[in-house]
Amino acid sequence: MRKFSVALATVLAGVVAACGGGDDNGTAQNASSDGGKAKLEGSISVWIMDPGSPKIQDVVNQYGTDFEAAHPGTKVDIQFVPWAQAHDKFVTAIAGGKVPDVAEMGTTWTPEFADQGALLEQPGITKGDYVSSLVDAATLNEKVYGKPWYAGARSLIYRKDYLEKAGVEPPKTWEEMSAAAKAINGTVKGVFPVGFTGLSEHMYLPTIWQAGGEIATQDGDTWKSALNSPEAAKAIDWYTSFYKAGLAPKASIGWEEPDAQTAFINGDVAMLIAGGWGYNSIIATKPELEEKIGTALTPTGPSGKGTAFAGGSHLVQFTESGNHDLGAAFVDFMLEADQLNKFTSEIGFLPGTTAGIEASGYLEDPQRKPFAEQLLNASAVYPPSPKWGGLEGANIFDGQIQKVMKNDISPQDAVAELAQKMDEEFAG
Amino acid sequence: MVIARRLVSRLTLPVLLLLPALVIIAGLVGYPLVRTVYLSFTDTGLGELIYGGSTWVGLENFKEVFADEHLRTSLINTVVFGTACVVGTMVLGFCVALLLNQRLRGNLFFGIAVLLPWAVPALAASAIWKWLFDARYGFVNWALVNVGFDGFQDYAWFADRESAYVAIFVTVVWQSFPFVALSLLAGLQTIPKETLQAAAVDGANAFQRFRLVTLPLLRPIVAVLVIFSTIWDFKIFDQVYVMAAGVPDRSADTAAVAAYREGFALSHYGLGSAVAVVLFLILLAFALIYVRLVGREGEFS
Repeated sequence: MRKFSVALATVLAGVVAACGGGDDNGTAQNASSDGGKAKLEGSISVWIMDPGSPKIQDVVNQYGTDFEAAHPGTKVDIQFVPWAQAHDKFVTAIAGGKVPDVAEMGTTWTPEFADQGALLEQPGITKGDYVSSLVDAATLNEKVYGKPWYAGARSLIYRKDYLEKAGVEPPKTWEEMSAAAKAINGTVKGVFPVGFTGLSEHMYLPTIWQAGGEIATQDGDTWKSALNSPEAAKAIDWYTSFYKAGLAPKASIGWEEPDAQTAFINGDVAMLIAGGWGYNSIIATKPELEEKIGTALTPTGPSGKGTAFAGGSHLVQFTESGNHDLGAAFVDFMLEADQLNKFTSEIGFLPGTTAGIEASGYLEDPQRKPFAEQLLNASAVYPPSPKWGGLEGANIFDGQIQKVMKNDISPQDAVAELAQKMDEEFAG
Repeated sequence: MVIARRLVSRLTLPVLLLLPALVIIAGLVGYPLVRTVYLSFTDTGLGELIYGGSTWVGLENFKEVFADEHLRTSLINTVVFGTACVVGTMVLGFCVALLLNQRLRGNLFFGIAVLLPWAVPALAASAIWKWLFDARYGFVNWALVNVGFDGFQDYAWFADRESAYVAIFVTVVWQSFPFVALSLLAGLQTIPKETLQAAAVDGANAFQRFRLVTLPLLRPIVAVLVIFSTIWDFKIFDQVYVMAAGVPDRSADTAAVAAYREGFALSHYGLGSAVAVVLFLILLAFALIYVRLVGREGEFS
């Protein structure tokens, strides 16, 4: 017994010593790196994706101002880049050698640019400190190239008044969604049941997971498309059935997500697949809608899952940046829990850090709770392949979906063709 | 010897004066052109562009341009739609020029007003016209429905290639006719009144005077304007980039947009350059044909 407690004490002491040692090392490291850069100085340029609202832009601009105030002699130049042009702009910047020092980057692009050697490795990332799926999305060959900033997943947003008028409950499954759409179409005049668009893969690709399929599978270093499957065909068939039946606006074939959101705000669409950020922006645009709209988890497909895409952003630094220290300091400043929540609460995303989520209070708000639950319990990320960003940038999916919507080809042919195109990209 | 020295001294000044312009042209036009042609024979992607190391693939990219359905369509779109825009611009430009050439009150005002569309940045104009053609809130559908065409209620202009091209055609012509109209107006005003009066005395009616006197005298200007319009309308980018983005399967893309997307969105710089080179050759062919035509006219007169 005595022996045992001695052993225990020894082990405990060892653990404490180990932890202490770790701490010491950490402090020492910080001290030395602090010593190395003694005082932060110089200027950095920062690219942030345009959040589409002046209020949120102000929050970001305030980061720059506060940081400059805390570190005299530094200058932070923040630019807003529209999402739709961001990928092209990064490519051009890297090719031209005119990169920003720090940038927000869509999670699906990080592996692509890291693979080109454009991004700086981020040391000392502990998975427990961040939303782990976002760390996965930033990982290439076991190195992490971006720090998770914020994350979110799309859920169902609906007009309570329209659904009531049509006598239907908020749909929980695909069948219920189809039935609800038909009911609304007959009863609420001038309103389209859904705003399923032709140009937003984050709306239609997750239906493949919901149907029980996969988007791509990894085999060692290479990825292979998994789209040529009955599940994927079923998913695309369901997604496009609304448009074919006239349950979505004729123009929606050429819509992007913001167009669908605008239609929802205008009261032209009854049900919308959108994230917490979309919800915030809808309320901000038309406050009187807050009482009329409800939120729920994404309807579940034949697999019994309502998986949505876990999207979000990393904060990355570029290898070619001239001021790595200042960039790193600014990134860490933006990721402090209270700073982070200023931004995420405005934009309607969840913080990318664990401390940030705890501080957010998201789970206590009934309207916003589904978005948090969707992200934490029913979301997945696209294959973190360096080629994925290119696939997205080229919108290879949209064209095929649009052709199915127009009834030019069958869902089976569409997914078969897509699988072939994906494999070509994965191979090239 | 003396003659040669005199020749050199006579050439020195012109060459010196031309040099700054030549350097700028060589840097801004020559280098990109040579580089694009070079890239079109390589397999350059993003990595090769940054770090070098691309491989020579010969004519592979050009084969791909004509084998790939989307790229081939984009070239056909360019020629067909571009030609339509040139014709539309010239016809409207001519009509407006003839109207402005009449001695009407307020013609100065109209002359200035006509210039305004030309002054709007193409990107802004495209965004505005896209709104005007919006399915539910657009002015065009509203006006058409009010005039009695009920079929245009919620009509989605950009859901089909053909209807999308109608909208883009209106935008392009709206923006490019002012230059043509004013150039033709300047031309019309150089025609001596005596010539027209003489034709009238000989018994030519208004249409005959236009066809037999005005048009032949304007031919050099028309030829130059057609060349300009062809170059502008064949490499049209902004309007198509903004307005045709949602057209199913990107079937309304023109070659310039396709080259950009192939290069910058897909990082296939070699293939994108090949599309650009093919577009360049098409433009060169059209330009040569016109120059020959204009030259022959000169010989006849």
